[in-house]
Amino acid sequence: MKPLRIAVAGKGGAGKSLISGTMARLLARHDRQVLALDSDLQPGLALSLGAAVPAEPPLLAAAEKDEDGRWRLRKGIGPVRAVQRYTTAAPDGVRLLQAGKTTDEGLAPLMGAIHAFYKVIHRLDEAGSLRDWTILGDLPAGPRQVAFDWAPYAEHFLLVVEPTWPSMLTARRVMRIVRIREEVTVSAVLNKATSEADVDRVRAFGFEPLAVVPADDAVRDAERRGVALLDHAPGSPAVAAIARLVTALERR
Amino acid sequence: MKVLVAGKGGVGKTTVSGTLARALARAGHSVTALDCDANPMLGISLGMGPERTDALVAVRQALEARDAEHEPTIEGFVDRFGADAPDGVRLVVASRIDQFDPGCT
Repeated sequence: MKPLRIAVAGKGGAGKSLISGTMARLLARHDRQVLALDSDLQPGLALSLGAAVPAEPPLLAAAEKDEDGRWRLRKGIGPVRAVQRYTTAAPDGVRLLQAGKTTDEGLAPLMGAIHAFYKVIHRLDEAGSLRDWTILGDLPAGPRQVAFDWAPYAEHFLLVVEPTWPSMLTARRVMRIVRIREEVTVSAVLNKATSEADVDRVRAFGFEPLAVVPADDAVRDAERRGVALLDHAPGSPAVAAIARLVTALERR
Repeated sequence: MKVLVAGKGGVGKTTVSGTLARALARAGHSVTALDCDANPMLGISLGMGPERTDALVAVRQALEARDAEHEPTIEGFVDRFGADAPDGVRLVVASRIDQFDPGCT
């Protein structure tokens, strides 16, 4: 089974974390070892995975400052050890690596963890024991992290698109940035679709969606309760559509 | 008055901002709308249309392309880099990311 290396991007509120978290668990149910990467400093992926959010990012313990005051990984910490020690367990055997979440004191308490995260994801390809892992990264809203190389592991970018102009324009901006890396492929998934006209709308814009996830009250309910969609409504139309998306990505 | 709008992605920051800017303009205020998102979309909620919004060049890009000098005054800044939105609102896009820039965190 070929491991997948996917980064999920799109506009704020498009459903990146919902789709990433649900996909990660469905991929794990297909007997894949899955590493989920969360570089968003706002909450999201842990909720959609159904994983606990640690009060403090575990990766803080992986970082130290050098003589010049620059952050680096502590001696002896490479990508393998980072995944062994600093990931948290999510349902279905998914391992979750988080950069950390913004606190009342802002970003300052997180800086070590953020730097450690960036360094670890840039060294994932060194780790022979991770070669067979499927890696799924949930990026924060917009083009910023894509432009600043926060998904170097990605062989495929999945753009989550709502049938709205801001969402489609964002996906197009992200796609232009991604396309600069020639070895990377891109596809789109339409989320919150309410009609065939929505599918036509994104097609007319130039995206042929790999899957169409319908607008689904089960998603709203799950997010209001703060629970994973996959646990709240495993038989919902949205989960069925994300399962089709997983199959489509595996067949690519 | 100076108002800053913030919140999680998708909650409606841009929609609230654009509508608020025009409502204030209609109430007689002189309004500058500043889009500080790296993925600027405020033009759409102000009513300038998606394609025109997408074509707006951000101040930073204009400066980097060296087709503009740094502007010493705020008024000049808004004047030179702003775009006209409905109800007399002046829209200024601060920064927009549209390039791959590896190695920068």
